[in-house]
Amino acid sequence: MKASLRGVAAAPGVARARIWRLPERSSEGAGSQVDLEEAAERAASELESLRERLRAGGREEESEIFGAQALMAQDPELIGAAQEAIEQGTSAEQAIRDAGESAATTLAALDDELLAARAADVRDVAARIARILRGEQPPRLEERSIAVALDLPPSITAELDPALLAGIALEAGSRTAHAAILSRALGIPAVVGARGLLEAARNAHDIAVDGTSGELFLDPDDQTLAEIERRSAEASDLAAADAALRDRPLQTADGHRVMLAANIGQPEDSKRAIEGGAEGVGLFRTEFMFMGRATAPDEATQTGAYARVLEAFGERPVVIRLIDLGGDKDLPYLPLPHEENPFLGVRALRLADAGHEELLLTQLRAILAAGDHTGRQPWIMAPMVADLSDVYRLHELVALAAFGRTVGVQPKVGIMVEIPSVAMVAELVAPEVAFFSIGTNDLTQYMLAADRTNPGLAERQDPLHPAVLRAIARVIEGGHAAGIPVAVCGEMAGDPAGAMALTGLGIDELSMDAGAFGAVKRALAGASLGDLRGAAEHALHAESAKDVRAIFESMRAPEREAVG
Amino acid sequence: MAETTIELRNPSGLHARPAATFVKAATGFKSDIRVTNLTRDADKSAAAKSMLGVLGLGVSHGHTIRITAEGEDADEAVKTLGEMVKAGLGEAIGG
Repeated sequence: MKASLRGVAAAPGVARARIWRLPERSSEGAGSQVDLEEAAERAASELESLRERLRAGGREEESEIFGAQALMAQDPELIGAAQEAIEQGTSAEQAIRDAGESAATTLAALDDELLAARAADVRDVAARIARILRGEQPPRLEERSIAVALDLPPSITAELDPALLAGIALEAGSRTAHAAILSRALGIPAVVGARGLLEAARNAHDIAVDGTSGELFLDPDDQTLAEIERRSAEASDLAAADAALRDRPLQTADGHRVMLAANIGQPEDSKRAIEGGAEGVGLFRTEFMFMGRATAPDEATQTGAYARVLEAFGERPVVIRLIDLGGDKDLPYLPLPHEENPFLGVRALRLADAGHEELLLTQLRAILAAGDHTGRQPWIMAPMVADLSDVYRLHELVALAAFGRTVGVQPKVGIMVEIPSVAMVAELVAPEVAFFSIGTNDLTQYMLAADRTNPGLAERQDPLHPAVLRAIARVIEGGHAAGIPVAVCGEMAGDPAGAMALTGLGIDELSMDAGAFGAVKRALAGASLGDLRGAAEHALHAESAKDVRAIFESMRAPEREAVG
Repeated sequence: MAETTIELRNPSGLHARPAATFVKAATGFKSDIRVTNLTRDADKSAAAKSMLGVLGLGVSHGHTIRITAEGEDADEAVKTLGEMVKAGLGEAIGG
């Protein structure tokens, strides 16, 4: 069985139905039956009723999008600009599109992600008014269908009858696109970002969407469909098993608890992590705010993002990692000389001594401000710390950031253990920091001299290597001797065998993507602490990562049976 | 002319939902009301009754804004809007 196309799995489940395509704009149309003002009024009332409908359905959050859009549709500046153009002789439809585009450009240029995202909403509003000016009706589904499009603007998605909408397949878009969020809310499968979809689907009749694997099948036969359905049922069994484990803590068969934390990449990930049962954030990667922009985000923008996460997690700890940027990233505001080996080069904390101290200070000030605004204690974690000198430099930077301001809520300052040298001196460093979090991905690549970005070395990239385990054991011992908690926030924490080994070594916290919570909980629940300790001891003396993996895999109950 | 200056405390800034609350309230007054984001650009103001204008000011958490009004209910408009911003425009704001 071969998928026709593959995209990003955006909402789980499987469906097959007729393809529904966004109607193309008819060139002649019914013509301008109404004037701009009336069209804008109608657009606003359509949007208001969409808002009411979503609200009544308990979809409060999405309904707000349409509330804002209704105001945009009647915005005096938008309509005024369009009216002016009409007086100059532009057609009403063109005028409103131009005015919308110009407002969208202004919003998109703001260095505030949340506001910049509203640009799409303005364009969408202008398109709606233009459609009314053409005398066209909103798009409608006639039968049970799967929407296939380049992208679906929120208003169109919401307009489609949820009872007839069986799935969504988009050529563009991401997991956080409106259409993806909506399909998860509606419980219908969705695949987004499937390149080449429109071209491939041009002559197809039906489509099957596997929103669990991200696969799309054009005109699938019955056998293919049966196979997809079987796989999907399996996936939903696992999802149900995960959901059943949601409120159970992460613990071994004999009740030894390990703190379960989430790795997140943006504030929007908080909800999923909390719903999955995260007891905190073990790694908040902050690079998202720094990518794809002309200037570095200012303090206020960063403060907002950090405050949102601190607010969402309340009493639960949130570890914010300072930016891990370096020569591998090409950022206009961070001109770094080309390096042969950027992962061993000037990056992260090392930027402070390469003329970019202000970049780190701004981030630290924003974290302190977020702590004060929310009244929650932020945990600050620095990556790329090599030794005690780096730790002192880190404390100096935090003090500089706090200089001249009253810091009501003192942060906890800790380090990411990923450079082998700092693992070797863990017991010297531990008394000087509030926590350790081991970044096993880089620790492994540095210890084993195996480039993470080279797929040919994938097999040499296993953190279950006895040498890496010994380094981890040393870090845990050094941390515990000083009475500080030791976590792991690398991929290893979310790998069942890795989580078992780490628990056997005495780790306090495992931080991973929320998607791995269920599998890791099941893995730990299947073994006692004593057994895991014994196996970990054994692993320290094994020949290779492969052998270590075999030790822990043999202790695991087969997934299927555990689920059934 | 009446005016007031306030710091915005909403964690995510003046994004769609609080902005909508603000614009709707402003629309209820007869006066000509304008808003300036002093932190970002003190020379640029927007009509308080324009959703796009208000969003376009890019008011983030911690930014200071100035509200000015001219007209028969100017004092009341500035007072009401200022208090609404201070109270978080319907959102929870940290102390």
